[in-house]
Amino acid sequence: MVISKKVEFSASHICRSDQLSDAENERVYGAAANPLGHGHNYIVEVAIEGEPDPITGMILDLKRLKEMLEEKVLNVYDHRLLNREVEPFDRIVPTVENIAIDIWNRVAPLLTGRARLYSVKVHETSELSVEYRGQ
Amino acid sequence: MVYVSRKYQFSASHRLHSHALSEAENYETYGKCNNPHGHGHNYEVELTIAGPVDSLTGRAVDLTALDSLAERAILGPFRYRNLNHEIPAFRNAVPTTENLGLELDRRLRAAWPAFFPHGPKLEKVRIWETERNICEIVHTGPE
Repeated sequence: MVISKKVEFSASHICRSDQLSDAENERVYGAAANPLGHGHNYIVEVAIEGEPDPITGMILDLKRLKEMLEEKVLNVYDHRLLNREVEPFDRIVPTVENIAIDIWNRVAPLLTGRARLYSVKVHETSELSVEYRGQ
Repeated sequence: MVYVSRKYQFSASHRLHSHALSEAENYETYGKCNNPHGHGHNYEVELTIAGPVDSLTGRAVDLTALDSLAERAILGPFRYRNLNHEIPAFRNAVPTTENLGLELDRRLRAAWPAFFPHGPKLEKVRIWETERNICEIVHTGPE
Protein backbone atom coordinates (compact mmCIF):
# COMPACT_ATOMS: atom_id res chain seq x y z
CA MET A 1 0.00 0.00 0.00
CA VAL A 2 1.28 3.44 -0.89
CA ILE A 3 0.40 6.75 0.76
CA SER A 4 1.72 10.12 -0.34
CA LYS A 5 2.20 13.55 1.14
CA LYS A 6 2.53 16.75 -0.83
CA VAL A 7 4.64 19.75 0.24
CA GLU A 8 5.82 22.89 -1.51
CA PHE A 9 8.87 25.10 -1.51
CA SER A 10 10.09 28.04 -3.59
CA ALA A 11 13.68 28.36 -4.67
CA SER A 12 15.93 29.78 -7.35
CA HIS A 13 18.52 27.97 -9.44
CA ILE A 14 20.86 28.29 -12.38
CA CYS A 15 21.07 25.39 -14.83
CA ARG A 16 24.64 25.67 -16.10
CA SER A 17 27.57 23.30 -16.02
CA ASP A 18 31.14 24.60 -15.61
CA GLN A 19 32.21 21.79 -17.90
CA LEU A 20 30.17 23.07 -20.85
CA SER A 21 30.73 26.12 -23.03
CA ASP A 22 28.24 29.03 -23.03
CA ALA A 23 26.81 27.80 -26.33
CA GLU A 24 26.46 24.23 -25.03
CA ASN A 25 24.79 25.44 -21.82
CA GLU A 26 22.31 27.44 -23.90
CA ARG A 27 21.57 24.44 -26.08
CA VAL A 28 21.11 21.99 -23.18
CA TYR A 29 19.23 24.20 -20.70
CA GLY A 30 17.73 26.97 -22.85
CA ALA A 31 16.44 29.94 -20.86
CA ALA A 32 17.19 28.08 -17.61
CA ALA A 33 20.92 28.66 -18.29
CA ASN A 34 20.56 32.38 -17.44
CA PRO A 35 23.61 32.98 -15.17
CA LEU A 36 21.60 35.35 -12.97
CA GLY A 37 19.21 32.55 -12.03
CA HIS A 38 15.44 32.20 -11.94
CA GLY A 39 12.98 30.45 -9.63
CA HIS A 40 10.08 28.05 -9.29
CA ASN A 41 7.36 27.02 -6.88
CA TYR A 42 8.24 23.36 -6.52
CA ILE A 43 5.68 20.76 -5.46
CA VAL A 44 7.09 17.59 -3.91
CA GLU A 45 5.07 14.38 -3.56
CA VAL A 46 6.66 11.88 -1.23
CA ALA A 47 5.15 8.38 -1.38
CA ILE A 48 5.63 5.85 1.42
CA GLU A 49 5.08 2.11 1.02
CA GLY A 50 4.15 -0.37 3.74
CA GLU A 51 1.32 -2.15 5.53
CA PRO A 52 -0.82 -0.29 8.08
CA ASP A 53 -0.06 -0.89 11.75
CA PRO A 54 -2.87 -3.14 13.07
CA ILE A 55 -3.46 -0.88 16.08
CA THR A 56 -3.17 2.63 14.62
CA GLY A 57 -4.32 1.78 11.09
CA MET A 58 -1.45 3.90 9.76
CA ILE A 59 1.65 3.01 7.71
CA LEU A 60 3.36 6.05 9.18
CA ASP A 61 2.10 8.97 11.23
CA LEU A 62 1.76 11.61 8.49
CA LYS A 63 2.40 14.33 11.04
CA ARG A 64 5.83 12.77 11.65
CA LEU A 65 6.43 12.59 7.91
CA LYS A 66 5.50 16.27 7.58
CA GLU A 67 7.93 17.18 10.38
CA MET A 68 10.70 15.14 8.71
CA LEU A 69 10.07 16.87 5.37
CA GLU A 70 10.04 20.28 7.02
CA GLU A 71 13.30 19.65 8.84
CA LYS A 72 15.25 17.80 6.17
CA VAL A 73 13.90 19.31 2.95
CA LEU A 74 11.86 22.49 3.31
CA ASN A 75 14.12 24.18 5.88
CA VAL A 76 17.06 23.44 3.59
CA TYR A 77 15.48 24.27 0.21
CA ASP A 78 12.82 26.92 0.80
CA HIS A 79 13.68 30.44 -0.40
CA ARG A 80 17.26 29.50 -1.23
CA LEU A 81 19.49 29.82 -4.28
CA LEU A 82 20.12 26.10 -4.69
CA ASN A 83 23.48 26.42 -6.49
CA ARG A 84 25.04 28.39 -3.64
CA GLU A 85 23.13 27.42 -0.53
CA VAL A 86 22.17 23.75 -0.83
CA GLU A 87 24.56 20.81 -1.07
CA PRO A 88 25.24 18.97 -3.39
CA PHE A 89 24.37 21.70 -5.89
CA ASP A 90 27.72 23.38 -5.41
CA ARG A 91 29.01 20.35 -7.37
CA ILE A 92 26.12 19.15 -9.56
CA VAL A 93 23.57 21.06 -11.64
CA PRO A 94 20.25 21.57 -9.76
CA THR A 95 18.05 20.16 -12.51
CA VAL A 96 14.69 18.80 -11.39
CA GLU A 97 16.14 15.30 -11.93
CA ASN A 98 18.95 15.95 -9.44
CA ILE A 99 16.57 17.66 -7.00
CA ALA A 100 14.32 14.55 -6.92
CA ILE A 101 17.35 12.31 -6.27
CA ASP A 102 18.70 14.61 -3.55
CA ILE A 103 15.34 14.72 -1.74
CA TRP A 104 15.20 10.92 -1.89
CA ASN A 105 18.70 10.75 -0.37
CA ARG A 106 17.69 13.08 2.45
CA VAL A 107 14.42 11.30 3.31
CA ALA A 108 15.11 7.58 2.70
CA PRO A 109 17.53 7.05 5.66
CA LEU A 110 14.96 8.50 8.11
CA LEU A 111 12.35 5.87 7.39
CA THR A 112 12.91 2.85 9.55
CA GLY A 113 10.38 0.26 10.64
CA ARG A 114 7.29 -0.60 8.63
CA ALA A 115 7.41 2.41 6.26
CA ARG A 116 9.70 2.47 3.24
CA LEU A 117 10.22 5.36 0.83
CA TYR A 118 8.53 4.40 -2.45
CA SER A 119 8.93 7.45 -4.67
CA VAL A 120 9.76 11.15 -4.75
CA LYS A 121 8.02 13.18 -7.43
CA VAL A 122 9.03 16.81 -7.95
CA HIS A 123 6.95 19.18 -10.10
CA GLU A 124 9.07 22.09 -11.29
CA THR A 125 6.22 23.60 -13.33
CA SER A 126 2.75 22.31 -14.25
CA GLU A 127 4.36 20.98 -17.45
CA LEU A 128 7.52 19.35 -16.10
CA SER A 129 7.95 16.80 -13.32
CA VAL A 130 10.37 14.03 -12.36
CA GLU A 131 9.82 10.88 -10.34
CA TYR A 132 12.61 8.89 -8.66
CA ARG A 133 12.12 5.49 -7.01
CA GLY A 134 15.58 4.98 -5.61
CA GLN A 135 17.37 3.18 -8.41
CA MET B 1 16.78 5.86 -13.37
CA VAL B 2 14.26 8.72 -13.16
CA TYR B 3 10.89 9.29 -14.80
CA VAL B 4 10.56 12.72 -16.44
CA SER B 5 7.04 13.89 -17.33
CA ARG B 6 6.41 16.71 -19.80
CA LYS B 7 2.94 18.05 -20.59
CA TYR B 8 1.68 19.57 -23.85
CA GLN B 9 -1.63 20.92 -25.07
CA PHE B 10 -3.55 21.04 -28.33
CA SER B 11 -7.11 21.84 -29.29
CA ALA B 12 -9.10 19.84 -31.82
CA SER B 13 -12.64 18.89 -32.76
CA HIS B 14 -14.23 15.48 -33.19
CA ARG B 15 -17.47 13.56 -33.39
CA LEU B 16 -17.97 10.17 -31.78
CA HIS B 17 -19.84 8.13 -34.36
CA SER B 18 -19.34 4.54 -35.50
CA HIS B 19 -20.24 3.52 -39.05
CA ALA B 20 -21.00 0.05 -37.68
CA LEU B 21 -23.85 1.32 -35.49
CA SER B 22 -27.31 2.67 -36.31
CA GLU B 23 -28.21 6.31 -35.63
CA ALA B 24 -30.07 5.25 -32.49
CA GLU B 25 -27.22 3.02 -31.28
CA ASN B 26 -24.70 5.79 -31.88
CA TYR B 27 -26.75 8.21 -29.83
CA GLU B 28 -27.21 5.63 -27.10
CA THR B 29 -23.45 4.85 -27.02
CA TYR B 30 -21.94 8.32 -27.31
CA GLY B 31 -24.74 10.64 -26.12
CA LYS B 32 -24.12 14.31 -26.87
CA CYS B 33 -20.64 13.45 -28.22
CA ASN B 34 -22.53 12.04 -31.23
CA ASN B 35 -23.76 15.52 -32.24
CA PRO B 36 -23.46 15.49 -36.09
CA HIS B 37 -21.86 18.94 -36.09
CA GLY B 38 -19.02 17.79 -33.82
CA HIS B 39 -17.49 19.56 -30.84
CA GLY B 40 -14.00 20.20 -29.48
CA HIS B 41 -11.66 19.88 -26.53
CA ASN B 42 -8.46 21.36 -25.16
CA TYR B 43 -6.51 18.13 -25.01
CA GLU B 44 -3.53 17.74 -22.72
CA VAL B 45 -0.87 15.12 -23.38
CA GLU B 46 1.76 14.05 -20.86
CA LEU B 47 4.78 12.03 -21.96
CA THR B 48 6.73 10.12 -19.32
CA ILE B 49 10.29 9.21 -20.23
CA ALA B 50 12.48 6.78 -18.28
CA GLY B 51 16.25 7.03 -18.28
CA PRO B 52 19.40 7.56 -16.23
CA VAL B 53 20.51 11.08 -15.26
CA ASP B 54 23.54 12.25 -17.26
CA SER B 55 26.25 13.01 -14.70
CA LEU B 56 27.50 16.05 -16.63
CA THR B 57 24.23 17.83 -17.48
CA GLY B 58 22.01 16.52 -14.68
CA ARG B 59 19.33 15.79 -17.30
CA ALA B 60 17.68 12.48 -18.16
CA VAL B 61 16.15 13.72 -21.42
CA ASP B 62 17.06 16.53 -23.83
CA LEU B 63 13.94 18.70 -23.42
CA THR B 64 14.68 20.70 -26.57
CA ALA B 65 14.72 17.48 -28.61
CA LEU B 66 11.60 16.21 -26.81
CA ASP B 67 9.71 19.45 -27.55
CA SER B 68 10.72 19.24 -31.24
CA LEU B 69 9.64 15.61 -31.43
CA ALA B 70 6.26 16.36 -29.81
CA GLU B 71 5.67 19.31 -32.13
CA ARG B 72 6.63 17.33 -35.23
CA ALA B 73 4.89 14.04 -34.39
CA ILE B 74 1.64 15.10 -32.71
CA LEU B 75 1.08 18.78 -31.86
CA GLY B 76 1.61 20.19 -35.37
CA PRO B 77 -0.51 17.55 -37.12
CA PHE B 78 -3.37 17.62 -34.53
CA ARG B 79 -3.61 21.30 -33.51
CA TYR B 80 -6.88 22.96 -34.61
CA ARG B 81 -7.86 19.94 -36.71
CA ASN B 82 -11.09 18.09 -37.18
CA LEU B 83 -9.89 14.65 -36.12
CA ASN B 84 -12.55 12.69 -38.05
CA HIS B 85 -11.88 14.43 -41.35
CA GLU B 86 -8.23 15.41 -41.19
CA ILE B 87 -6.44 12.54 -39.44
CA PRO B 88 -6.39 9.41 -41.63
CA ALA B 89 -6.51 7.00 -38.65
CA PHE B 90 -9.99 8.32 -37.79
CA ARG B 91 -11.60 7.81 -41.19
CA ASN B 92 -12.69 4.46 -39.82
CA ALA B 93 -11.74 4.35 -36.14
CA VAL B 94 -13.82 6.49 -33.74
CA PRO B 95 -11.71 9.33 -32.22
CA THR B 96 -12.46 8.43 -28.60
CA THR B 97 -9.85 9.35 -25.97
CA GLU B 98 -8.69 5.70 -26.09
CA ASN B 99 -8.18 5.65 -29.87
CA LEU B 100 -6.67 9.13 -29.85
CA GLY B 101 -4.21 8.04 -27.13
CA LEU B 102 -3.23 4.98 -29.17
CA GLU B 103 -2.73 7.07 -32.31
CA LEU B 104 -0.59 9.64 -30.46
CA ASP B 105 1.42 6.77 -28.96
CA ARG B 106 1.95 5.20 -32.41
CA ARG B 107 3.15 8.50 -33.90
CA LEU B 108 5.47 9.25 -30.98
CA ARG B 109 7.04 5.80 -31.12
CA ALA B 110 7.51 6.01 -34.90
CA ALA B 111 9.35 9.34 -34.54
CA TRP B 112 11.29 8.35 -31.38
CA PRO B 113 14.40 6.62 -32.86
CA ALA B 114 15.22 9.62 -35.09
CA PHE B 115 15.28 11.97 -32.07
CA PHE B 116 16.58 9.56 -29.40
CA PRO B 117 18.56 6.79 -31.14
CA HIS B 118 20.38 5.85 -27.91
CA GLY B 119 17.54 6.40 -25.42
CA PRO B 120 15.93 7.37 -23.14
CA LYS B 121 12.72 5.37 -23.46
CA LEU B 122 9.13 6.54 -23.80
CA GLU B 123 7.42 4.86 -20.86
CA LYS B 124 3.92 6.29 -20.78
CA VAL B 125 1.50 8.54 -22.69
CA ARG B 126 -1.42 10.11 -20.84
CA ILE B 127 -4.13 12.11 -22.53
CA TRP B 128 -6.73 14.34 -20.87
CA GLU B 129 -9.83 15.00 -22.97
CA THR B 130 -11.28 16.96 -20.07
CA GLU B 131 -10.13 17.23 -16.47
CA ARG B 132 -12.25 14.19 -15.63
CA ASN B 133 -11.64 12.00 -18.66
CA ILE B 134 -8.10 10.61 -18.88
CA CYS B 135 -6.57 7.73 -20.82
CA GLU B 136 -3.13 6.23 -20.16
CA ILE B 137 -0.97 4.01 -22.39
CA VAL B 138 1.86 2.32 -20.51
CA HIS B 139 4.75 0.38 -22.00
CA THR B 140 6.42 -1.86 -19.49
CA GLY B 141 8.37 -4.31 -21.68
CA PRO B 142 11.77 -3.70 -23.33
CA GLU B 143 11.85 -1.52 -26.45
